[in-house]
Amino acid sequence: MPLSSTHLPDKFLTLAEIMNISEQELEKRKEFLQFGPEDEERLRRLASHAEGYAEEVIESFYEHLLSIDEMKVFFADNDLLTRVKARQKAYFLRLTQGSYDIEYAEERLKIGATHERINLPVKFYLSMYSFYLRAVWKHIFETDKEHPDETMMTFFSLMKLIFLDISLTIDTYIDSREQTIKALQQEVIRELSTPVLPFREGMLLLPIIGQIDSPRARQLTEHLLMAIRANRAKVIVIDITGVATVDSRVANHLVQTVDAARLMGAKVVISGISPEIALTMVTLGIDLGPVYTVGDLQNGIEHAEKLLGYRVEKIGEAGAGNNGERM
Amino acid sequence: MEVPILKQGDYLIASIQGALADSDLTRLQENLVRTVRRHRSKGVVIDVTVLDVMDSFAARILRSITMMTRLMGAKVAIVGIQPEIAFSMVQLGLKLDGTMTSLDLEDGIAMLKAADKEDGFGNHGR
Repeated sequence: MPLSSTHLPDKFLTLAEIMNISEQELEKRKEFLQFGPEDEERLRRLASHAEGYAEEVIESFYEHLLSIDEMKVFFADNDLLTRVKARQKAYFLRLTQGSYDIEYAEERLKIGATHERINLPVKFYLSMYSFYLRAVWKHIFETDKEHPDETMMTFFSLMKLIFLDISLTIDTYIDSREQTIKALQQEVIRELSTPVLPFREGMLLLPIIGQIDSPRARQLTEHLLMAIRANRAKVIVIDITGVATVDSRVANHLVQTVDAARLMGAKVVISGISPEIALTMVTLGIDLGPVYTVGDLQNGIEHAEKLLGYRVEKIGEAGAGNNGERM
Repeated sequence: MEVPILKQGDYLIASIQGALADSDLTRLQENLVRTVRRHRSKGVVIDVTVLDVMDSFAARILRSITMMTRLMGAKVAIVGIQPEIAFSMVQLGLKLDGTMTSLDLEDGIAMLKAADKEDGFGNHGR
């Protein structure tokens, strides 16, 4: 199962680059595992033997896998199983072929990403490694029965390499989860950050906080238009007090929102233009065109009330009731 | 598809019933201008609620209807533009500048009446 390029956030970057796994990082990981040139040498010597036992190990490996119900679903048809077995064999043989460099890491990351993509749980992944190590132990031991110490060292070398693989694989799992969570979080924040609030009959309040980029402007406008229809709104107050900077792009988005609302018969008042924003806008030559703007939200609401024909009157001093009781 | 033009007091209502070909639009434009003349109407409401597409040709026709009727002393309100249409229209730069727009037929007629009152035509004539 080759990794499709669409899965990558940027097809010009390798997985290793995306996940910040550099030559140095790889060296450091090997250092942690005490994986040195002598380990590499031992594994290379094992290569010819590996060719001999690979087939047998793989057969028993899949026999074990297919005995587990949850795993069967991953190998629905025979074609797939044959292909996966061939890949598995290549993977096993690669373990004893030397040059465990950044390209090796990239291959391993791809395998991890593929397994993550088909939702293979990590627990199965780990048990597969464990099975493999136990299965090859016997074969490695038989390569040189005269020197059990040496075969044990070879087995340890293999184990170190397997742990390097595991560390890379699990990183792909973590990285992918993190990206999913981040994407979901941003979605939720965006949803929450653009509420459309009915303020009075026929009036909606739309406070904007944070940056306005194209996707957000789009979502904001869509929300607003739906709310205009649902609430039969005639006047909208868009408050941009919480928008730190207004450049020509943001201004353009605002004008589009105002135009779209107007097409649905609603007037828009933009409030919260701070002195700083007014200054930068004029300096940059940004023109909001015919859009009605006011300084703060209070003015915005007062103007909107006037447009709707409301008149708000004060009916007494605040706390007058208390004063009365005291007297 | 022919667009029926109904007379309602001083106002005309052109209620679009389904998707329109370009020729239907030009015919609507002609019919409207003639009907405004015949009934000496003060305003026209064009109801586009059922339209699910608004291309540049349709937008141009709506604008030119507005300008033509204005020359004849009547006002036009475009009513019932749906959220999706409004959004795609501004993206395409079709802003219908200079035309009155409102949410639905009821609001449209109320808006025309209010505009007439402002102009001081309130209770003159009939």
